[in-house]
Amino acid sequence: MNQPATIKKNKPASYYAWVGIFFLCLAGLIGALYYATIKIDYIWRWYRIPQYFIFKEKVDIRSQVDGKITEISYENGKAIIIVKTIGENKTYTVPQGDLKVSKGEYVNPGYVLAFYEKWKPGILLQGLWLTIEVSAIATLFGILIGLIGGIARLSSNPAFKWASITYIEIIRGSPLLVQIFIWYFVLGTLINTILGKYGINPIPSLWYGVAALACFTGAYVAEIVRAGIQSIHRGQVEASRSLGMTYAQSMRYVVLPQALRRILPPLAGQFISLIKDSSLLGIIAIRELAKATREVATTSLQTFELWFVCALLYLALTFTLSMFVQYLERRTAV
Amino acid sequence: MIEVQNIYKTFLVPHRVQALVNVSCKIEAGEVVVVIGPSGSGKSTLLRCLNHLEAADSGKIFIEGIDILDPKTNINKLRAEVGMVFQSFNLFPHKSVLENITLAQKVVRKRTKDEYLDKAFYLLNKVGIKDKANVFPDQLSGGQQQRVAIARALAMDPKVMLFDEPTSALDPEMIGEVLDVMKNLAMEGMTMVVVTHEMGFAKEVADRVIFMDMGAIVEEGTPEHFFTNPENERTKLFLSQIL
Ligand SMILES: Nc1ncnc2c1ncn2[C@@H]1O[C@H](COP(=O)(O)OP(=O)(O)O)[C@@H](O)[C@H]1O
Ligand SMILES: [Mg+2]
Repeated sequence: MNQPATIKKNKPASYYAWVGIFFLCLAGLIGALYYATIKIDYIWRWYRIPQYFIFKEKVDIRSQVDGKITEISYENGKAIIIVKTIGENKTYTVPQGDLKVSKGEYVNPGYVLAFYEKWKPGILLQGLWLTIEVSAIATLFGILIGLIGGIARLSSNPAFKWASITYIEIIRGSPLLVQIFIWYFVLGTLINTILGKYGINPIPSLWYGVAALACFTGAYVAEIVRAGIQSIHRGQVEASRSLGMTYAQSMRYVVLPQALRRILPPLAGQFISLIKDSSLLGIIAIRELAKATREVATTSLQTFELWFVCALLYLALTFTLSMFVQYLERRTAV
Repeated sequence: MIEVQNIYKTFLVPHRVQALVNVSCKIEAGEVVVVIGPSGSGKSTLLRCLNHLEAADSGKIFIEGIDILDPKTNINKLRAEVGMVFQSFNLFPHKSVLENITLAQKVVRKRTKDEYLDKAFYLLNKVGIKDKANVFPDQLSGGQQQRVAIARALAMDPKVMLFDEPTSALDPEMIGEVLDVMKNLAMEGMTMVVVTHEMGFAKEVADRVIFMDMGAIVEEGTPEHFFTNPENERTKLFLSQIL
Protein backbone atom coordinates (compact mmCIF):
# COMPACT_ATOMS: atom_id res chain seq x y z
CA MET A 1 0.00 0.00 0.00
CA ASN A 2 2.29 2.70 1.26
CA GLN A 3 4.97 2.40 -1.34
CA PRO A 4 6.95 5.54 -2.02
CA ALA A 5 6.22 7.01 -5.42
CA THR A 6 9.80 6.68 -6.55
CA ILE A 7 11.67 3.55 -5.74
CA LYS A 8 15.17 4.14 -4.44
CA LYS A 9 17.86 2.34 -6.27
CA ASN A 10 21.56 2.74 -6.73
CA LYS A 11 22.22 5.34 -9.34
CA PRO A 12 24.82 4.71 -12.05
CA ALA A 13 28.02 6.68 -12.07
CA SER A 14 26.91 8.62 -15.14
CA TYR A 15 24.11 10.11 -13.03
CA TYR A 16 26.63 11.73 -10.69
CA ALA A 17 28.70 12.85 -13.66
CA TRP A 18 25.71 14.75 -15.01
CA VAL A 19 25.01 16.25 -11.60
CA GLY A 20 28.60 17.45 -11.64
CA ILE A 21 28.18 18.87 -15.13
CA PHE A 22 25.11 20.77 -13.99
CA PHE A 23 26.91 22.45 -11.11
CA LEU A 24 29.94 23.11 -13.29
CA CYS A 25 27.78 24.89 -15.86
CA LEU A 26 26.08 26.90 -13.13
CA ALA A 27 29.40 27.95 -11.66
CA GLY A 28 30.72 28.71 -15.15
CA LEU A 29 27.78 30.97 -15.88
CA ILE A 30 28.20 32.89 -12.64
CA GLY A 31 31.94 33.08 -13.19
CA ALA A 32 31.47 34.43 -16.71
CA LEU A 33 29.07 37.07 -15.46
CA TYR A 34 31.49 38.09 -12.75
CA TYR A 35 34.38 38.20 -15.20
CA ALA A 36 32.38 40.39 -17.56
CA THR A 37 31.59 42.87 -14.79
CA ILE A 38 35.27 43.04 -13.85
CA LYS A 39 36.06 43.74 -17.48
CA ILE A 40 33.92 46.89 -17.39
CA ASP A 41 35.41 47.88 -14.03
CA TYR A 42 32.22 47.35 -12.09
CA ILE A 43 32.92 47.30 -8.37
CA TRP A 44 30.69 45.01 -6.37
CA ARG A 45 29.73 46.54 -3.04
CA TRP A 46 27.31 44.13 -1.41
CA TYR A 47 27.90 45.77 1.97
CA ARG A 48 26.03 48.81 0.76
CA ILE A 49 22.83 46.88 0.20
CA PRO A 50 21.60 46.24 3.78
CA GLN A 51 21.15 49.97 4.42
CA TYR A 52 18.34 50.02 1.88
CA PHE A 53 16.47 47.50 3.98
CA ILE A 54 17.01 48.96 7.38
CA PHE A 55 19.12 51.83 8.64
CA LYS A 56 19.80 53.81 11.77
CA GLU A 57 18.43 57.29 11.78
CA LYS A 58 19.74 60.04 14.05
CA VAL A 59 16.95 61.81 15.86
CA ASP A 60 17.88 65.10 17.59
CA ILE A 61 16.47 66.09 20.95
CA ARG A 62 16.10 69.82 20.94
CA SER A 63 15.44 72.32 23.66
CA GLN A 64 12.06 73.99 23.56
CA VAL A 65 12.98 76.87 25.84
CA ASP A 66 15.49 79.68 26.46
CA GLY A 67 17.67 79.18 29.49
CA LYS A 68 20.80 77.91 31.12
CA ILE A 69 21.70 74.35 31.92
CA THR A 70 22.08 74.31 35.67
CA GLU A 71 22.45 70.64 36.28
CA ILE A 72 23.22 67.39 34.51
CA SER A 73 22.82 64.22 36.54
CA TYR A 74 23.12 60.62 35.48
CA GLU A 75 20.82 57.81 36.37
CA ASN A 76 20.97 54.22 34.99
CA GLY A 77 22.33 55.19 31.61
CA LYS A 78 20.22 58.30 31.16
CA ALA A 79 21.25 61.90 31.55
CA ILE A 80 18.81 64.28 33.17
CA ILE A 81 19.30 67.87 32.03
CA ILE A 82 17.70 70.68 33.98
CA VAL A 83 17.33 73.96 32.11
CA LYS A 84 16.72 77.03 34.23
CA THR A 85 14.41 79.49 32.55
CA ILE A 86 12.65 82.67 33.55
CA GLY A 87 9.60 80.71 34.46
CA GLU A 88 9.60 77.11 35.57
CA ASN A 89 12.62 74.85 35.19
CA LYS A 90 12.48 72.38 32.33
CA THR A 91 13.78 68.79 32.66
CA TYR A 92 14.95 66.63 29.75
CA THR A 93 15.81 62.97 30.06
CA VAL A 94 18.15 61.88 27.24
CA PRO A 95 20.44 58.92 26.43
CA GLN A 96 23.67 59.56 28.31
CA GLY A 97 26.20 58.64 25.63
CA ASP A 98 24.90 61.01 23.02
CA LEU A 99 24.97 64.22 25.03
CA LYS A 100 25.77 67.35 23.02
CA VAL A 101 25.81 69.96 25.81
CA SER A 102 27.52 70.53 29.12
CA LYS A 103 26.67 72.22 32.37
CA GLY A 104 26.51 75.99 32.25
CA GLU A 105 25.70 76.24 28.58
CA TYR A 106 22.99 78.60 27.39
CA VAL A 107 20.34 77.09 25.16
CA ASN A 108 17.51 78.43 23.12
CA PRO A 109 14.54 76.75 21.36
CA GLY A 110 15.82 74.38 18.68
CA TYR A 111 19.25 73.98 20.28
CA VAL A 112 20.33 70.33 20.08
CA LEU A 113 20.74 68.84 23.54
CA ALA A 114 21.36 65.26 22.53
CA PHE A 115 20.40 62.71 19.93
CA TYR A 116 19.44 59.10 19.78
CA GLU A 117 19.43 56.54 17.02
CA LYS A 118 16.38 54.75 15.69
CA TRP A 119 16.07 51.80 13.29
CA LYS A 120 14.03 52.70 10.24
CA PRO A 121 12.90 50.53 7.32
CA GLY A 122 14.76 51.36 4.14
CA ILE A 123 13.19 52.00 0.78
CA LEU A 124 13.56 48.41 -0.40
CA LEU A 125 11.82 47.05 2.67
CA GLN A 126 9.05 49.59 2.22
CA GLY A 127 8.73 48.55 -1.41
CA LEU A 128 8.65 44.89 -0.47
CA TRP A 129 5.96 45.58 2.07
CA LEU A 130 3.91 47.54 -0.44
CA THR A 131 4.21 44.69 -2.95
CA ILE A 132 2.94 42.25 -0.32
CA GLU A 133 0.12 44.58 0.63
CA VAL A 134 -0.99 45.27 -2.92
CA SER A 135 -0.80 41.59 -3.85
CA ALA A 136 -2.72 40.49 -0.78
CA ILE A 137 -5.56 42.95 -1.31
CA ALA A 138 -5.73 42.21 -5.03
CA THR A 139 -5.72 38.48 -4.29
CA LEU A 140 -8.59 38.86 -1.88
CA PHE A 141 -10.72 40.83 -4.32
CA GLY A 142 -9.54 38.63 -7.16
CA ILE A 143 -10.93 35.57 -5.37
CA LEU A 144 -14.19 37.35 -4.71
CA ILE A 145 -14.57 38.56 -8.30
CA GLY A 146 -13.46 35.20 -9.65
CA LEU A 147 -15.92 33.26 -7.52
CA ILE A 148 -18.81 35.44 -8.60
CA GLY A 149 -17.60 35.52 -12.20
CA GLY A 150 -17.11 31.75 -12.36
CA ILE A 151 -20.54 31.00 -10.95
CA ALA A 152 -22.17 33.62 -13.18
CA ARG A 153 -20.37 32.10 -16.16
CA LEU A 154 -22.23 28.84 -15.54
CA SER A 155 -25.56 30.49 -14.82
CA SER A 156 -28.48 29.81 -17.15
CA ASN A 157 -29.51 33.45 -16.78
CA PRO A 158 -28.22 35.17 -19.94
CA ALA A 159 -27.60 38.49 -18.20
CA PHE A 160 -25.22 36.92 -15.69
CA LYS A 161 -23.69 34.55 -18.16
CA TRP A 162 -23.00 37.12 -20.87
CA ALA A 163 -21.79 39.70 -18.39
CA SER A 164 -19.29 37.17 -17.12
CA ILE A 165 -18.18 36.09 -20.61
CA THR A 166 -17.75 39.71 -21.71
CA TYR A 167 -15.72 40.55 -18.63
CA ILE A 168 -13.50 37.48 -18.90
CA GLU A 169 -12.84 37.91 -22.62
CA ILE A 170 -12.06 41.62 -22.43
CA ILE A 171 -9.69 41.20 -19.51
CA ARG A 172 -7.93 38.17 -20.89
CA GLY A 173 -7.69 39.67 -24.34
CA SER A 174 -5.78 42.82 -23.48
CA PRO A 175 -2.38 43.42 -21.87
CA LEU A 176 -2.27 44.14 -18.15
CA LEU A 177 -0.12 47.19 -18.83
CA VAL A 178 -2.88 48.72 -20.95
CA GLN A 179 -5.46 47.86 -18.32
CA ILE A 180 -3.41 49.61 -15.65
CA PHE A 181 -3.25 52.70 -17.87
CA ILE A 182 -6.99 52.58 -18.42
CA TRP A 183 -7.65 52.29 -14.71
CA TYR A 184 -5.28 55.11 -13.90
CA PHE A 185 -5.57 57.56 -16.78
CA VAL A 186 -9.17 56.96 -17.84
CA LEU A 187 -11.19 55.69 -14.90
CA GLY A 188 -8.94 57.38 -12.36
CA THR A 189 -9.20 60.74 -14.07
CA LEU A 190 -12.96 60.40 -14.44
CA ILE A 191 -13.59 59.32 -10.89
CA ASN A 192 -11.20 61.77 -9.26
CA THR A 193 -12.48 64.69 -11.33
CA ILE A 194 -16.07 63.90 -10.45
CA LEU A 195 -15.14 63.45 -6.78
CA GLY A 196 -13.35 66.79 -6.94
CA LYS A 197 -16.50 68.49 -8.16
CA TYR A 198 -18.22 67.37 -4.99
CA GLY A 199 -15.30 68.46 -2.86
CA ILE A 200 -14.20 64.91 -2.01
CA ASN A 201 -10.51 64.05 -1.85
CA PRO A 202 -9.19 62.13 -4.84
CA ILE A 203 -8.56 58.40 -4.50
CA PRO A 204 -4.79 57.72 -4.47
CA SER A 205 -3.30 55.99 -7.50
CA LEU A 206 -2.51 52.98 -5.32
CA TRP A 207 -6.17 51.97 -5.32
CA TYR A 208 -6.47 52.19 -9.09
CA GLY A 209 -3.47 49.91 -9.32
CA VAL A 210 -4.98 47.44 -6.89
CA ALA A 211 -8.26 47.56 -8.80
CA ALA A 212 -6.49 46.84 -12.08
CA LEU A 213 -4.68 43.86 -10.59
CA ALA A 214 -7.79 42.53 -8.84
CA CYS A 215 -9.92 42.75 -11.98
CA PHE A 216 -7.17 41.19 -14.07
CA THR A 217 -6.71 38.29 -11.68
CA GLY A 218 -10.46 37.96 -11.17
CA ALA A 219 -11.00 37.07 -14.82
CA TYR A 220 -8.45 34.27 -14.69
CA VAL A 221 -9.76 33.04 -11.35
CA ALA A 222 -13.28 33.02 -12.83
CA GLU A 223 -12.13 30.66 -15.56
CA ILE A 224 -10.36 28.47 -13.01
CA VAL A 225 -13.46 28.41 -10.80
CA ARG A 226 -15.66 27.60 -13.78
CA ALA A 227 -13.45 24.69 -14.78
CA GLY A 228 -13.35 23.53 -11.15
CA ILE A 229 -17.12 23.55 -10.78
CA GLN A 230 -17.56 21.80 -14.11
CA SER A 231 -15.11 19.12 -13.06
CA ILE A 232 -17.40 18.07 -10.22
CA HIS A 233 -19.63 15.25 -11.38
CA ARG A 234 -23.18 16.44 -11.93
CA GLY A 235 -24.38 13.57 -9.76
CA GLN A 236 -23.16 15.63 -6.82
CA VAL A 237 -25.51 18.47 -7.66
CA GLU A 238 -28.34 16.06 -8.38
CA ALA A 239 -27.85 14.24 -5.09
CA SER A 240 -27.82 17.45 -3.08
CA ARG A 241 -30.75 19.00 -4.95
CA SER A 242 -32.77 15.78 -4.58
CA LEU A 243 -32.36 16.17 -0.82
CA GLY A 244 -34.07 19.52 -1.04
CA MET A 245 -31.04 21.79 -0.96
CA THR A 246 -31.29 25.04 -2.86
CA TYR A 247 -28.86 25.85 -5.66
CA ALA A 248 -26.90 28.06 -3.27
CA GLN A 249 -26.75 25.41 -0.55
CA SER A 250 -25.66 22.77 -3.01
CA MET A 251 -22.90 25.10 -4.24
CA ARG A 252 -21.78 26.06 -0.77
CA TYR A 253 -21.78 22.69 0.96
CA VAL A 254 -21.21 20.23 -1.84
CA VAL A 255 -19.77 21.63 -5.06
CA LEU A 256 -17.46 24.46 -4.02
CA PRO A 257 -15.63 22.59 -1.23
CA GLN A 258 -14.77 19.84 -3.70
CA ALA A 259 -14.00 22.26 -6.54
CA LEU A 260 -11.81 24.43 -4.32
CA ARG A 261 -9.61 21.50 -3.49
CA ARG A 262 -9.13 20.79 -7.15
CA ILE A 263 -8.45 24.37 -8.20
CA LEU A 264 -5.94 25.13 -5.46
CA PRO A 265 -2.86 24.42 -7.65
CA PRO A 266 -3.94 26.54 -10.66
CA LEU A 267 -5.17 29.21 -8.26
CA ALA A 268 -1.76 29.31 -6.61
CA GLY A 269 -0.14 29.74 -10.02
CA GLN A 270 -2.44 32.66 -10.69
CA PHE A 271 -1.54 34.39 -7.44
CA ILE A 272 2.15 33.85 -8.05
CA SER A 273 1.65 35.61 -11.37
CA LEU A 274 -0.17 38.36 -9.54
CA ILE A 275 2.80 39.01 -7.25
CA LYS A 276 5.09 39.26 -10.25
CA ASP A 277 2.64 41.38 -12.25
CA SER A 278 2.38 43.86 -9.40
CA SER A 279 5.83 45.04 -10.52
CA LEU A 280 4.06 46.84 -13.37
CA LEU A 281 2.40 49.22 -10.93
CA GLY A 282 5.61 51.24 -10.78
CA ILE A 283 4.55 52.96 -14.01
CA ILE A 284 1.71 54.71 -12.24
CA ALA A 285 3.99 55.93 -9.49
CA ILE A 286 3.27 53.22 -6.96
CA ARG A 287 6.54 52.56 -5.21
CA GLU A 288 6.38 48.78 -4.95
CA LEU A 289 9.46 46.61 -4.88
CA ALA A 290 10.56 46.99 -8.52
CA LYS A 291 9.99 50.74 -8.56
CA ALA A 292 11.78 51.10 -5.22
CA THR A 293 14.70 49.15 -6.61
CA ARG A 294 14.87 51.38 -9.66
CA GLU A 295 14.92 54.48 -7.47
CA VAL A 296 17.69 53.13 -5.27
CA ALA A 297 19.63 51.88 -8.28
CA THR A 298 19.74 55.31 -9.87
CA THR A 299 20.99 57.01 -6.72
CA SER A 300 23.31 54.36 -5.31
CA LEU A 301 24.92 53.19 -8.55
CA GLN A 302 24.99 49.63 -7.17
CA THR A 303 22.70 48.63 -10.02
CA PHE A 304 23.83 45.04 -10.41
CA GLU A 305 23.52 44.06 -6.78
CA LEU A 306 20.16 45.77 -6.43
CA TRP A 307 18.46 44.08 -9.36
CA PHE A 308 19.68 40.69 -8.24
CA VAL A 309 18.39 41.40 -4.75
CA CYS A 310 15.09 42.53 -6.21
CA ALA A 311 14.70 39.31 -8.19
CA LEU A 312 15.59 37.25 -5.13
CA LEU A 313 12.98 39.06 -3.06
CA TYR A 314 10.27 38.27 -5.60
CA LEU A 315 11.49 34.70 -5.62
CA ALA A 316 11.24 34.58 -1.84
CA LEU A 317 7.65 35.83 -1.98
CA THR A 318 6.50 33.45 -4.67
CA PHE A 319 8.33 30.54 -3.07
CA THR A 320 6.71 31.21 0.29
CA LEU A 321 3.31 31.33 -1.36
CA SER A 322 3.78 28.06 -3.18
CA MET A 323 5.02 26.40 0.02
CA PHE A 324 1.93 27.67 1.81
CA VAL A 325 -0.34 26.30 -0.90
CA GLN A 326 1.40 22.94 -0.81
CA TYR A 327 0.76 22.86 2.90
CA LEU A 328 -2.91 23.69 2.31
CA GLU A 329 -3.16 20.97 -0.31
CA ARG A 330 -1.76 18.41 2.08
CA ARG A 331 -4.12 19.54 4.80
CA THR A 332 -7.25 19.41 2.65
CA ALA A 333 -6.42 16.15 0.88
CA VAL A 334 -9.08 13.56 1.59
CA MET B 1 -49.99 9.83 -3.79
CA ILE B 2 -48.30 10.30 -7.16
CA GLU B 3 -50.29 10.98 -10.27
CA VAL B 4 -48.64 11.38 -13.66
CA GLN B 5 -50.86 12.62 -16.48
CA ASN B 6 -49.78 12.50 -20.11
CA ILE B 7 -46.22 13.74 -19.72
CA TYR B 8 -43.85 14.21 -22.59
CA LYS B 9 -40.13 14.82 -22.45
CA THR B 10 -37.91 15.44 -25.43
CA PHE B 11 -34.18 16.03 -25.24
CA LEU B 12 -32.74 18.20 -27.99
CA VAL B 13 -29.08 17.99 -27.06
CA PRO B 14 -26.93 16.24 -28.23
CA HIS B 15 -29.65 15.09 -30.62
CA ARG B 16 -33.41 14.93 -30.58
CA VAL B 17 -34.65 12.05 -28.40
CA GLN B 18 -38.22 11.52 -27.30
CA ALA B 19 -37.47 10.13 -23.86
CA LEU B 20 -41.08 10.12 -22.60
CA VAL B 21 -44.14 9.93 -24.83
CA ASN B 22 -47.53 10.44 -23.25
CA VAL B 23 -46.79 8.67 -19.99
CA SER B 24 -49.51 8.38 -17.37
CA CYS B 25 -49.51 6.38 -14.17
CA LYS B 26 -50.69 6.45 -10.60
CA ILE B 27 -48.90 5.32 -7.49
CA GLU B 28 -50.80 4.87 -4.27
CA ALA B 29 -49.40 5.48 -0.80
CA GLY B 30 -47.63 2.39 0.51
CA GLU B 31 -47.33 0.87 -2.92
CA VAL B 32 -44.09 -0.57 -4.27
CA VAL B 33 -43.91 -0.12 -8.02
CA VAL B 34 -41.09 -1.66 -10.03
CA VAL B 35 -40.30 -0.13 -13.40
CA ILE B 36 -38.59 -2.38 -15.92
CA GLY B 37 -37.64 -1.97 -19.54
CA PRO B 38 -34.69 -1.98 -21.90
CA SER B 39 -31.91 0.54 -21.63
CA GLY B 40 -32.85 3.92 -23.08
CA SER B 41 -36.57 3.31 -22.67
CA GLY B 42 -37.03 6.36 -20.45
CA LYS B 43 -37.16 4.77 -16.98
CA SER B 44 -34.62 7.15 -15.45
CA THR B 45 -36.18 10.11 -17.15
CA LEU B 46 -39.59 9.23 -15.70
CA LEU B 47 -38.09 8.91 -12.23
CA ARG B 48 -36.19 12.18 -12.58
CA CYS B 49 -39.36 13.94 -13.69
CA LEU B 50 -41.03 12.84 -10.48
CA ASN B 51 -38.68 14.94 -8.33
CA HIS B 52 -38.20 17.59 -10.99
CA LEU B 53 -34.52 16.89 -11.63
CA GLU B 54 -35.88 16.88 -15.16
CA ALA B 55 -38.83 19.11 -16.08
CA ALA B 56 -41.47 17.39 -18.20
CA ASP B 57 -42.31 19.36 -21.36
CA SER B 58 -46.05 18.93 -21.04
CA GLY B 59 -48.59 17.03 -19.01
CA LYS B 60 -49.11 17.14 -15.27
CA ILE B 61 -47.49 15.54 -12.25
CA PHE B 62 -49.12 15.68 -8.84
CA ILE B 63 -47.42 14.55 -5.66
CA GLU B 64 -49.84 14.48 -2.75
CA GLY B 65 -52.03 16.80 -4.72
CA ILE B 66 -49.26 19.33 -5.38
CA ASP B 67 -48.75 20.22 -9.01
CA ILE B 68 -44.97 20.02 -9.32
CA LEU B 69 -44.85 21.54 -12.81
CA ASP B 70 -46.57 24.67 -11.58
CA PRO B 71 -43.86 27.37 -11.51
CA LYS B 72 -45.24 28.61 -8.20
CA THR B 73 -44.55 25.31 -6.45
CA ASN B 74 -41.58 25.33 -4.11
CA ILE B 75 -39.51 22.59 -5.70
CA ASN B 76 -36.94 22.42 -2.92
CA LYS B 77 -39.64 21.77 -0.38
CA LEU B 78 -41.11 19.10 -2.59
CA ARG B 79 -37.77 17.37 -3.16
CA ALA B 80 -37.20 17.08 0.58
CA GLU B 81 -40.29 14.86 0.66
CA VAL B 82 -39.12 12.69 -2.23
CA GLY B 83 -36.01 10.62 -1.55
CA MET B 84 -33.85 9.49 -4.44
CA VAL B 85 -31.19 6.80 -4.67
CA PHE B 86 -28.90 6.79 -7.69
CA GLN B 87 -27.17 4.05 -9.59
CA SER B 88 -23.78 5.65 -8.90
CA PHE B 89 -24.52 6.42 -5.20
CA ASN B 90 -23.42 10.06 -5.52
CA LEU B 91 -22.25 10.28 -1.93
CA PHE B 92 -20.42 13.47 -1.01
CA PRO B 93 -16.77 12.36 -1.13
CA HIS B 94 -15.49 15.24 1.00
CA LYS B 95 -17.78 14.40 3.90
CA SER B 96 -17.75 11.49 6.30
CA VAL B 97 -20.57 8.96 6.28
CA LEU B 98 -22.14 10.70 9.25
CA GLU B 99 -21.87 14.13 7.62
CA ASN B 100 -23.40 12.74 4.43
CA ILE B 101 -26.44 11.80 6.44
CA THR B 102 -26.63 14.92 8.59
CA LEU B 103 -25.89 17.67 6.04
CA ALA B 104 -29.36 18.00 4.53
CA GLN B 105 -30.99 17.45 7.92
CA LYS B 106 -29.09 20.50 9.12
CA VAL B 107 -29.44 22.85 6.18
CA VAL B 108 -32.79 21.77 4.76
CA ARG B 109 -34.76 20.44 7.72
CA LYS B 110 -32.98 22.76 10.20
CA ARG B 111 -32.89 20.07 12.86
CA THR B 112 -31.00 20.48 16.12
CA LYS B 113 -27.80 18.56 16.74
CA ASP B 114 -29.53 16.03 19.00
CA GLU B 115 -32.25 15.44 16.45
CA TYR B 116 -30.02 14.95 13.45
CA LEU B 117 -27.48 12.79 15.26
CA ASP B 118 -30.21 10.57 16.69
CA LYS B 119 -31.71 10.20 13.26
CA ALA B 120 -28.35 9.49 11.62
CA PHE B 121 -27.36 6.77 14.06
CA TYR B 122 -30.81 5.22 13.97
CA LEU B 123 -30.56 4.97 10.17
CA LEU B 124 -26.95 3.79 10.12
CA ASN B 125 -28.04 1.03 12.44
CA LYS B 126 -31.00 0.25 10.25
CA VAL B 127 -28.90 -0.12 7.10
CA GLY B 128 -26.32 -2.09 9.05
CA ILE B 129 -23.22 0.12 9.05
CA LYS B 130 -23.27 1.91 12.37
CA ASP B 131 -19.55 1.29 12.91
CA LYS B 132 -18.65 3.27 9.77
CA ALA B 133 -20.01 6.64 10.87
CA ASN B 134 -16.69 8.45 10.74
CA VAL B 135 -15.08 6.97 7.66
CA PHE B 136 -15.17 8.59 4.25
CA PRO B 137 -17.19 7.12 1.38
CA ASP B 138 -14.16 6.01 -0.63
CA GLN B 139 -13.21 3.63 2.19
CA LEU B 140 -16.50 1.75 1.85
CA SER B 141 -17.47 -1.06 -0.49
CA GLY B 142 -20.08 -0.32 -3.18
CA GLY B 143 -22.79 -2.06 -1.22
CA GLN B 144 -21.97 -0.07 1.89
CA GLN B 145 -21.92 3.17 -0.08
CA GLN B 146 -25.34 2.48 -1.53
CA ARG B 147 -26.70 1.72 1.93
CA VAL B 148 -25.31 5.05 3.16
CA ALA B 149 -27.01 6.72 0.20
CA ILE B 150 -30.30 5.10 1.19
CA ALA B 151 -29.83 6.26 4.78
CA ARG B 152 -29.03 9.77 3.52
CA ALA B 153 -32.30 9.89 1.60
CA LEU B 154 -34.30 8.39 4.46
CA ALA B 155 -32.92 10.98 6.88
CA MET B 156 -35.23 13.55 5.32
CA ASP B 157 -38.27 11.42 6.29
CA PRO B 158 -39.46 11.29 2.70
CA LYS B 159 -43.00 10.29 1.82
CA VAL B 160 -41.81 8.41 -1.23
CA MET B 161 -38.50 6.88 -2.28
CA LEU B 162 -37.28 6.69 -5.87
CA PHE B 163 -34.59 4.12 -6.71
CA ASP B 164 -32.85 4.32 -10.08
CA GLU B 165 -31.12 1.00 -10.66
CA PRO B 166 -29.67 0.98 -7.14
CA THR B 167 -27.81 -2.31 -7.60
CA SER B 168 -26.62 -1.99 -11.20
CA ALA B 169 -23.21 -0.61 -10.27
CA LEU B 170 -22.57 -3.25 -7.60
CA ASP B 171 -20.52 -6.41 -7.60
CA PRO B 172 -22.91 -9.40 -7.52
CA GLU B 173 -22.04 -10.35 -3.95
CA MET B 174 -23.15 -6.94 -2.68
CA ILE B 175 -26.50 -6.76 -4.41
CA GLY B 176 -28.22 -8.82 -1.74
CA GLU B 177 -27.36 -6.51 1.16
CA VAL B 178 -28.82 -3.49 -0.65
CA LEU B 179 -31.95 -5.36 -1.74
CA ASP B 180 -32.47 -6.52 1.85
CA VAL B 181 -32.50 -2.94 3.06
CA MET B 182 -35.02 -2.08 0.35
CA LYS B 183 -37.21 -5.07 1.19
CA ASN B 184 -37.34 -4.02 4.84
CA LEU B 185 -38.28 -0.55 3.77
CA ALA B 186 -41.08 -1.91 1.62
CA MET B 187 -42.36 -4.02 4.50
CA GLU B 188 -42.48 -0.95 6.72
CA GLY B 189 -44.92 0.53 4.26
CA MET B 190 -42.72 3.02 2.41
CA THR B 191 -44.04 4.15 -0.94
CA MET B 192 -41.39 3.16 -3.46
CA VAL B 193 -40.76 3.48 -7.17
CA VAL B 194 -37.89 1.20 -8.14
CA VAL B 195 -36.19 0.98 -11.51
CA THR B 196 -34.33 -2.32 -11.50
CA HIS B 197 -33.34 -5.38 -13.46
CA GLU B 198 -33.58 -7.56 -10.35
CA MET B 199 -36.57 -9.65 -11.27
CA GLY B 200 -36.37 -11.57 -8.02
CA PHE B 201 -36.94 -8.34 -6.14
CA ALA B 202 -39.85 -7.48 -8.44
CA LYS B 203 -41.49 -10.86 -7.88
CA GLU B 204 -41.04 -10.79 -4.16
CA VAL B 205 -41.69 -7.18 -3.22
CA ALA B 206 -43.52 -5.33 -5.97
CA ASP B 207 -47.21 -4.61 -5.77
CA ARG B 208 -47.17 -3.61 -9.39
CA VAL B 209 -44.76 -3.76 -12.30
CA ILE B 210 -44.56 -1.22 -15.12
CA PHE B 211 -42.86 -2.14 -18.37
CA MET B 212 -41.56 0.76 -20.46
CA ASP B 213 -40.24 0.78 -23.98
CA MET B 214 -39.33 3.67 -26.28
CA GLY B 215 -40.50 6.28 -23.81
CA ALA B 216 -43.93 4.82 -23.22
CA ILE B 217 -45.59 2.53 -20.70
CA VAL B 218 -46.30 -0.62 -22.66
CA GLU B 219 -47.75 -2.89 -20.02
CA GLU B 220 -48.67 -2.64 -16.38
CA GLY B 221 -49.79 -5.26 -13.89
CA THR B 222 -49.04 -7.45 -10.88
CA PRO B 223 -45.77 -9.37 -10.78
CA GLU B 224 -47.78 -12.54 -11.16
CA HIS B 225 -49.32 -11.31 -14.36
CA PHE B 226 -45.94 -10.29 -15.71
CA PHE B 227 -44.03 -13.41 -14.95
CA THR B 228 -46.71 -15.91 -15.88
CA ASN B 229 -48.64 -14.50 -18.83
CA PRO B 230 -47.43 -11.18 -20.20
CA GLU B 231 -49.62 -9.94 -23.03
CA ASN B 232 -47.57 -7.55 -25.10
CA GLU B 233 -45.06 -8.93 -27.58
CA ARG B 234 -42.38 -6.47 -26.57
CA THR B 235 -42.83 -7.38 -22.92
CA LYS B 236 -42.46 -11.03 -23.75
CA LEU B 237 -39.33 -10.38 -25.75
CA PHE B 238 -37.79 -8.29 -22.99
CA LEU B 239 -38.61 -10.78 -20.26
CA SER B 240 -37.31 -13.68 -22.31
CA GLN B 241 -34.01 -11.87 -22.66
CA ILE B 242 -33.66 -10.91 -19.03
CA LEU B 243 -34.95 -13.98 -17.19
N1 LIG C 1 -29.87 14.62 -19.97
C1 LIG C 1 -30.09 14.05 -21.16
N2 LIG C 1 -29.74 14.69 -22.29
C2 LIG C 1 -29.99 14.12 -23.50
N3 LIG C 1 -30.55 12.94 -23.68
C3 LIG C 1 -30.91 12.23 -22.59
C4 LIG C 1 -30.69 12.75 -21.28
N4 LIG C 1 -31.13 11.86 -20.38
C5 LIG C 1 -31.61 10.81 -21.11
N5 LIG C 1 -31.49 11.03 -22.43
C6 LIG C 1 -31.94 10.14 -23.51
O1 LIG C 1 -33.27 9.82 -23.26
C7 LIG C 1 -33.51 8.44 -23.51
C8 LIG C 1 -34.05 7.79 -22.27
O2 LIG C 1 -33.03 7.74 -21.31
P1 LIG C 1 -33.19 7.14 -19.84
O3 LIG C 1 -34.40 7.72 -19.24
O4 LIG C 1 -31.92 7.37 -19.14
O5 LIG C 1 -33.39 5.61 -20.15
P2 LIG C 1 -33.26 4.38 -19.17
O6 LIG C 1 -33.07 4.89 -17.78
O7 LIG C 1 -34.51 3.63 -19.36
O8 LIG C 1 -32.09 3.60 -19.64
C9 LIG C 1 -32.20 7.86 -23.98
O9 LIG C 1 -32.21 7.82 -25.39
C10 LIG C 1 -31.18 8.84 -23.51
O10 LIG C 1 -30.08 8.90 -24.39
MG1 LIG D 1 -31.45 4.67 -16.48
